[in-house]
Amino acid sequence: MALRIQRVPSDNLAGGIAARLIAIVLALAVAAAVFAFTGADLGKLGGHVVKSTFSNFGMQDVGLILTPLILTGLAVMIALKVGAWNIGAEGQFCAGAFAASGVALFVPGPTVVILPLMFVAGALGGMIWILIPTLARAYADVSELITTLLLNFVGILLVYYVATGPWLDSSGFSFASTKRLPHDIPALWGDVHWGLPIAVIITIAVAAVLNFTRWGYEVRIAGSNPNAARYAAIPFRRHLIVVMLLSGAIAGLAGMLEAVGTAHRLQGGISNNFGYIGIMVAVLARGSAIGVIAGALLMTLILKSGLALQTQGVSVATVLAITGLILFFTAIGDELSHYRIVRTKNEPQEA
Amino acid sequence: MDLIAGLIQTSILAGGVLALAALGEVLAERVGVVNLGVEGLMSLGAITGIATVVATPSPLLGFALALAVGFMAGMAFATATVIVRANQVLCGLALTLMGTGVAAMIGKAYSGIPAPVTFAPIAIPYLSDIPVLGRALFTQNILVYLIYLILPFTLHHIMFRTRHGLDMRAVGENPAAADAAGIPVQRIRFWYVSLGAAFAAGAGAYLTLAFVPSWSEGVVAGRGWIAVALVIFAGYRPWTAVLAALLFGLITSLGFVGQARNWPIAAPILSMLPYLGTIALMIVPVLAWQKVRRLMAAPAAIGEPYFRDVR
Amino acid sequence: MNVMLNAEETVASGSAIQPIVLLRGIAKYFPGVIANQDVDFDLVPGEIHALLGENGAGKSTLMNILTGIYRPDMGEIVIDGTPVTLASPVEAIAAGIGMVHQHFKLVKAFTVAENIHLGWKDTPRRTSRAVLEARTAELAASLNLQVKPGARISDLSTGEQQRVEILRVLSRKARVLILDEPTAVLTPAEAAELFKALRQFVARGNAVIFISHKLDEVLEISDRVTVLRGGRKVTTRRTAECDKRMLARLMVGQEVVLGNMRTRRADARPVSEQPVLSLHQVSARDDLGNMALKDVSLQLRAGEILGIAGVAGNGQKELSQVLTGVRPLASGRLEVCGEDLSARSAREFAAFGVGHIPEDRLQSGLAPALSVTDNAVIREYGKAPLSKGWFYRPSAATALARSIAQTASVAVPDFGMPVRNLSGGNQQRLVARREMRIASQVLVAAYPCRGLDVGAINAMMHYFTELRDAGVGVVFVSEELDELCKLSDRIAVMFHGEIMGVVDTADVDIEAIGLMMGGQRRLAAEPAGN
Repeated sequence: MALRIQRVPSDNLAGGIAARLIAIVLALAVAAAVFAFTGADLGKLGGHVVKSTFSNFGMQDVGLILTPLILTGLAVMIALKVGAWNIGAEGQFCAGAFAASGVALFVPGPTVVILPLMFVAGALGGMIWILIPTLARAYADVSELITTLLLNFVGILLVYYVATGPWLDSSGFSFASTKRLPHDIPALWGDVHWGLPIAVIITIAVAAVLNFTRWGYEVRIAGSNPNAARYAAIPFRRHLIVVMLLSGAIAGLAGMLEAVGTAHRLQGGISNNFGYIGIMVAVLARGSAIGVIAGALLMTLILKSGLALQTQGVSVATVLAITGLILFFTAIGDELSHYRIVRTKNEPQEA
Repeated sequence: MDLIAGLIQTSILAGGVLALAALGEVLAERVGVVNLGVEGLMSLGAITGIATVVATPSPLLGFALALAVGFMAGMAFATATVIVRANQVLCGLALTLMGTGVAAMIGKAYSGIPAPVTFAPIAIPYLSDIPVLGRALFTQNILVYLIYLILPFTLHHIMFRTRHGLDMRAVGENPAAADAAGIPVQRIRFWYVSLGAAFAAGAGAYLTLAFVPSWSEGVVAGRGWIAVALVIFAGYRPWTAVLAALLFGLITSLGFVGQARNWPIAAPILSMLPYLGTIALMIVPVLAWQKVRRLMAAPAAIGEPYFRDVR
Repeated sequence: MNVMLNAEETVASGSAIQPIVLLRGIAKYFPGVIANQDVDFDLVPGEIHALLGENGAGKSTLMNILTGIYRPDMGEIVIDGTPVTLASPVEAIAAGIGMVHQHFKLVKAFTVAENIHLGWKDTPRRTSRAVLEARTAELAASLNLQVKPGARISDLSTGEQQRVEILRVLSRKARVLILDEPTAVLTPAEAAELFKALRQFVARGNAVIFISHKLDEVLEISDRVTVLRGGRKVTTRRTAECDKRMLARLMVGQEVVLGNMRTRRADARPVSEQPVLSLHQVSARDDLGNMALKDVSLQLRAGEILGIAGVAGNGQKELSQVLTGVRPLASGRLEVCGEDLSARSAREFAAFGVGHIPEDRLQSGLAPALSVTDNAVIREYGKAPLSKGWFYRPSAATALARSIAQTASVAVPDFGMPVRNLSGGNQQRLVARREMRIASQVLVAAYPCRGLDVGAINAMMHYFTELRDAGVGVVFVSEELDELCKLSDRIAVMFHGEIMGVVDTADVDIEAIGLMMGGQRRLAAEPAGN
């Protein structure tokens, strides 16, 4: 009996899930080790995290953080389905928040009219923000990864500019925020608003479209192999554009929900790395809607733990570093899950 | 006139960051590996530089340590992408997140502290007395001469005029062919990716030791990404990469001039220029340069992991 | 005649000539397949030793082991009497072993001179274009091979590229030259040139291993032949003692009928008078913008199989794409059943009843990462019962996929698994039956038997005759002349994007076809296309 290691062309579902779980556990273990090394009391830290997460306010925080992460994760995931890297969810988020806040601040009318208008504005904002990278990719094959990413910086600067300049709250409440937006998203439970179920419904709807419509089938084929799309006369470019715009719209919607429902104002830094963490959610999701929700939940818990430990010196930077570590281990794990151990029998040698 | 000299001088200084990072990325991409972790590596280099110079009065040591840190981080990245052959895009993004995060964590203690010692401009005798150009070109710190002259010359010579350079470029074009010709594909990829990462970290140190020169959480501000875009725009060649970086330096210094002279455009809007400029640079030439496509084409096997013993 | 040495003769004469290469008990395994098992092989100086076997028999794998690209899972390699481990290509090159692969290992963006000097310790440390090109010219002259040192590989023809490969291998002082299916990319005339060069090479005391699955070639060129089947060695014989039938039987393992499949069943539909598909002076560009098809006129009748011969790269790919609507016409007219389809999309062609088995199934005909079901329904996903209005029913899709798999005799354990997990032969069978479902008028098959084992090839050929007998017109592009002669009623030969001539297979003359493949237009009363 000889054992050898072989690489198979496809990874399997079980291997992928295992790789992700191991990656998360390993990354958290490394983080814990670093904390321990710097002298922190792990037991106390752990207890603090659990207590603050599962408290009333803690669970509301979870609900509030979950909403944008589900949507940014979904945005990145559907772009990946068509073979595009939307790293610009952060900027599209800002653009959506910007557009929705603009409507809230400057368009008069009752909430029942303005609220739907803000939804549209948020989606449109995100869509416009991804438009140029989309067209550049579709018609000139320019890397959308870099163009969407560069617009992140512009989006963040844009929000910072209006929140500290033209739209600055004159009451002096903050130096980087607009006044409180006059409209709210109706509350669901405590601070958690209807944005959360809306996010979940959108995710399920997108999954349904991808799997149960003709258009969805075409998108999946085109995203998997553009040459096969050409062979079957599926208009790859058109589908690419539509899906990328949809991706931008979803990220923009996430921004709108955050500005109107959670923060209730447009402030500098409103995107809060939700766009970047959305990438992690999409990678964890492995292309499925359930994966997006599960991945978003996981990243929410990690973010929440980070917030809970802020008093202990942990910052957003730490959470980002840990997210990076999880991504790193996931990438390695995905590759390793292609390998399997195979037994071969020794044939008796002929004399 | 003084304004022009100052503009050129600042452009060169500002472009140096991008130039060094771009040169490193040229090396990595020429052997076929896309390293999207440049932003994170620059952050690590930046914090290493400033932390060293606060502790010891030697910017040179700060720069050297940044190179070392970058090299080690590069080796970790290379292990994942070249040896394990994991997805290069994901590993690069991971490196950016990790590098930026770790640098910010360490950087809290150094936020806003100006570097006590920096790379001061050195005036080259005689040449620096030339009106206008003397101040602009021949009164720069030592890293500038390294980045704009010595490195591109050396890299160009090695890549295009030596046997080793031929082999190294073949690795990025067709690793199977290089392998069959007896070239050690994994080894070349591993070491060049690590070296490129070292350059990226060095660019970060340049930022906190020669250009800004201090640390703050957003000090890198996407320059790593601009450098990656510049490499594509520059056709993966050392001299054009450095020239493209200089162009960027010009845009940045125009922004400084604007702020200093109270132009009616707000600071955040001016800050957007480099990013918008990069996007324009990525799109416009593709439409215009149909003929030059072949010269500027990416190495054919870029981004693909190489498996020898797999059907 | 060159001096012929082989193991048996030398043993008989009493003097022991040491084999240059000796392989003992070699085994190599890949996921799900035994590529080599218990293979012995020896090579003596001065011989051309053919390695014969059908696709998948393990020939290329064995040679990849000898050149250090693969490590053997079992067995040993002995060079000049000393056991060695060839851990990498460098060591094989140092041992004097050089291989010209079926898919050339050349850097397309580099020039000939740069490719020659790749990874070579004799290359000067400082290189410049002029120096490298001068050295290349010298080298080529000394080895009597014609190359253009300054040309970019991507600009050269496949025959010229092969010469560059050979030059590169020989310049490393290889004593053992391994050629993997070298004549696939050559015209008969170029192949003859190659054979001449090989005989000169072995006359100097070197040796050649010649991998092929073509019986004629093997009988013509080799001194000894080793037959592989299913990864194992069947036998090693002196070529003089072999004949075609015996080699075919050894290769396949059973009596092989080398007849033709052109005879129809009694109830087969007759060939129609009117063409079902016709091209009138069609021109088309390839992906790089060059004219790939120049004023091609061709007619296909219902109930016939039209073969397209020619060395690959002469416009066949573009032709099959034009015939199925994947590539637009630059000029000319295309008609199916009298209807002008010149400006229609691939989907409309499919709706018209034109099926397409593409040249590279994994590249264009399938989405490798998607499930078997998703791939099986790519032609019919928009029709009932799979679709109604906007909606698509995955359950109906799986049912269709099942029925396709059944007609294809492919056992699929899980229809949700990625289609790339299936073997090449099974993938091709699925694609073929998928296309046959919609091919009510025409089926265009581009190199459908490439890389398949004999069982799958047989299946393909029977599918085509099935369609032909049902009254469908089949266009069959292939680089194997014997396949074409076996199956097609007429053969059109392509060269540089033009049809050189069309012949009736019944009175076929291999030499005439060979000339046409090399660019000589047919001087016959019949104008091309009739």
